[in-house]
Amino acid sequence: MIGFRKPIRAKTLGRGSQKSQGNIEGGALSSVSLKNLVLSPDLETNLRQIKTILDRCSDVVYREFVFAQNEEIRLALIYTDGLADKVQVSDQIMKALALEVAMAAPGQEITKARALEFIKQRGLCIHQIKETNKVEDIIDAILSGDTVLLVDGHATAIINGARGFETRSISDPEAEPTVRGSRESFIESLRVNTSLIRRKIKSPNLKIESMKLGEVTATDVAIAYIEGIANDKLVAEVKNRLGRIKVDAILESGYLEELIEDNPFSPFPTVNHTEKPDRVAAMLLEGRVAIVVDGTPFVLTVPNLFIEYLQAPEDYYERFIFATAVRVIRFLSMIISLVLPSLYIAVVSFHHEIFPTTLLLNVAAQREAVPFPVFIEVMIMEMTFEILREAGIRLPRPIGQAVSIVGALVIGEAAVRAGLVAAATVIVVAFTGIASFTFAYSASIAFRLLRFTLMVLSATLGLFGLVSGLAIIAIHLCTLRSFGVPYLSPLVPTIGADLKDVILRAPWWAMFSRPRLIARQEQIRLEQGLKPSPPETRPKGKG
Amino acid sequence: MLKKITVFILLVLLTGFLVGCWSREEITQIAIILGTGVDWTADGRIRLTVQIAKPGSFAGGAEGGGKGREPASWAVSAEGKSIEEAERYLAMRVPRDIYWGHCITLVIGEEMAKKGTRIVTSFFLRDREPRETMWVMVAKGEAKDVLETHSNLEKTSAQAAGLLERMKTGYSVQLREFAEMLASKGVQPVVTRVEVKEAGVTPGSEQEKKSPAHKQVEITGVGVFKEDKLIGWLDAEKTRGLMWLKGEPMEGVITVPSPGEPDKEVSILIRRGKTKIVPKYDGKSLRFDVKIDMEGDMVEQQSLEDLAKPEKIKFLESGMAEEIKRRCNLALKKAQKEYAVDIFGFGNAFHRKYKKEWRELKDRWDDVFRQAEVNITVAARVRVIGLSTKRADVPEK
Repeated sequence: MIGFRKPIRAKTLGRGSQKSQGNIEGGALSSVSLKNLVLSPDLETNLRQIKTILDRCSDVVYREFVFAQNEEIRLALIYTDGLADKVQVSDQIMKALALEVAMAAPGQEITKARALEFIKQRGLCIHQIKETNKVEDIIDAILSGDTVLLVDGHATAIINGARGFETRSISDPEAEPTVRGSRESFIESLRVNTSLIRRKIKSPNLKIESMKLGEVTATDVAIAYIEGIANDKLVAEVKNRLGRIKVDAILESGYLEELIEDNPFSPFPTVNHTEKPDRVAAMLLEGRVAIVVDGTPFVLTVPNLFIEYLQAPEDYYERFIFATAVRVIRFLSMIISLVLPSLYIAVVSFHHEIFPTTLLLNVAAQREAVPFPVFIEVMIMEMTFEILREAGIRLPRPIGQAVSIVGALVIGEAAVRAGLVAAATVIVVAFTGIASFTFAYSASIAFRLLRFTLMVLSATLGLFGLVSGLAIIAIHLCTLRSFGVPYLSPLVPTIGADLKDVILRAPWWAMFSRPRLIARQEQIRLEQGLKPSPPETRPKGKG
Repeated sequence: MLKKITVFILLVLLTGFLVGCWSREEITQIAIILGTGVDWTADGRIRLTVQIAKPGSFAGGAEGGGKGREPASWAVSAEGKSIEEAERYLAMRVPRDIYWGHCITLVIGEEMAKKGTRIVTSFFLRDREPRETMWVMVAKGEAKDVLETHSNLEKTSAQAAGLLERMKTGYSVQLREFAEMLASKGVQPVVTRVEVKEAGVTPGSEQEKKSPAHKQVEITGVGVFKEDKLIGWLDAEKTRGLMWLKGEPMEGVITVPSPGEPDKEVSILIRRGKTKIVPKYDGKSLRFDVKIDMEGDMVEQQSLEDLAKPEKIKFLESGMAEEIKRRCNLALKKAQKEYAVDIFGFGNAFHRKYKKEWRELKDRWDDVFRQAEVNITVAARVRVIGLSTKRADVPEK
């Protein structure tokens, strides 16, 4: 936005009380201008300074009052209305300092010089306090929801962690619903999100490092990883890539995703995201690094492998036989969603030999009245499907579903009846559409794009085009890397031990090791010989 | 980087102009041929008849059902000096691209078969569209008549004929097998014979009564070839003997008299079997020992006697062996003495064992074969006789 690389009026505020309209406009945007700015012992000066910086911020509240035991000691509270917990601020800070200190420590004479120390030790009933003398920190604290207490005569402010803004309550994950397993989903508050992770992994090795990104938004970002499991180099790489970022705003984790991914032009995402804390916990335990961004329920995890799109959280909660069967289905759906329409186009317009005779005659009968070439026909139906799908998402919820269902039925049914499209085409398109929802949504977007490309190739070159397209996709996938880890691993390069969690989901008593290329080497997950078996003798009734 | 990407995108876009959807043919642009027939006309030209599927009649569901009894195929003929030429003339009548890829049957007319089948197979083996798995048949009469029939059960008569062949009720030959038999000197070709016959009329149906008797294709034995020329026929009974001697497929039902009550019959269904041909040649005389092992299950019994006795089963087995031997001999006599052609592949068996001698004999093999002695020994076994005769309501003797 406005020169975050080179702050235009970086120095103006630093020159002291000099103030003009211009420097506030520029100064507010550039945090650099606040650097090196410190508090003075004089309360008035400090207040004026802060008010200058937070000029025309009507939601910032300034409350000046005096200390209960010594009226000479003037105090000022600054907080942002709506972000600070008003009950805490009035009860634990104002009431305590203005009224109750006298009751708690009667008769004590508090001098101006001792005031700060006393307030810190006895006056405040707040769990989390921090001292600072930097204006930058103060501004940051105020705008983050903390309450700042300024004491006259001291060049130090006390930041009280009394945040209390409205957040959404934890609800079911909407983008990744499960039948079995945790129903919690992340919300928009970073602190709640990290607490959800911490609740799953109660280990001192779970490290949650935080930073602020975005020059204007100053968004809180946290990197979570388990020390000893995550590869140190990976953690360093993540920090390095995040540290490189100099943007004005981070409003969603998608901003970060695009700024740290390995191949920005690939249709395949190389950073995964999820809104399920249990999934993040599982990722961390495999040695991945999670990036939690304030303001979004979607947490990023890196490195991201292709097979992750075939893995659903439920796979690990259901018994392994069933989970494996479901994965096979998911894998087939993935192939179907990628190639079925192009295969249909190629076969119908080039390779009639592939059809069994009866099927060929059936398809021929359906297509007899259709006025378009099959490519145009499939294209129309695919576009219709995409439009309906998009409309279904964008429409207000109450009408959204009705419109999409009715639209699909009416368009599909009427188009077939009118002879504009063959019933087989509708089946192919509908089947493809449904199949594309069986695996992770972000991958299905990539597959949707590639599906259209393959359709064009099939329509021009038949199966040869389709196979060439698939070969190009395969080659591209082989070249992709996510944070140094080959995208197709453990398939390419093949890592035998890690194949236990690709199509086959090995039973938990056989999940001995963590993914080799992600976690640190020689990581043992569990002890050998945990496979349960019935006891040698039948348990007797008593004893 | 940006320049590279631009160049790459431009190259990709430009390739779009290079392709021309080569060989793209929409389904609606092709005439799907299901069956084809070749006849030799009286004035010495080749008549190509094709049975083309009418896609509209194949529609399933509510819309397609209303078409009623309108035939689902269209038979159309054209004449020419060669098959390709006839096909070109055909293309003037058929408004779509003639598409051979799904041709199920190739019917060769009797006159054409007598004239020589190489004229026919050359095209179908060379052209890239027809499959070598198509069923080859020889029509008693004209191939055109066979293709102009309609099936009562299947949509088209070509499909019906294909299914009949697939059932292996007769001796079924695919184009590939036919070509192999033509190429080999150790065996002479046999090809399924088809005839147009009047099918039985369904009793009670008003519509059937009004309509004229329905003509349908039926398999009636095989045609026997010498090289590529038709020289005679074998009927259905002898065809079975031919199949057993060739060792493929070992199927069929043998009916033998019941051991205790000779006027009642017992049917044995052949389950599996094996044929082994052992040639014996000492420079002058040639002998073939043919050993046939057959296993069957008893599936029908007219008498009430309990057959679960070793001697009775022995009796059944010997009756079965006799019957198999009799039918094999029938086919053998006809081929060896009347037609003097080796349609059983004895020559191939000889070739495998006497490689040097074969070189001398192969060019006059049919003559040699005519004088050869063939001993057929059959070992038959009945495995299952069932438990029905031991039921409680059958009085025990």
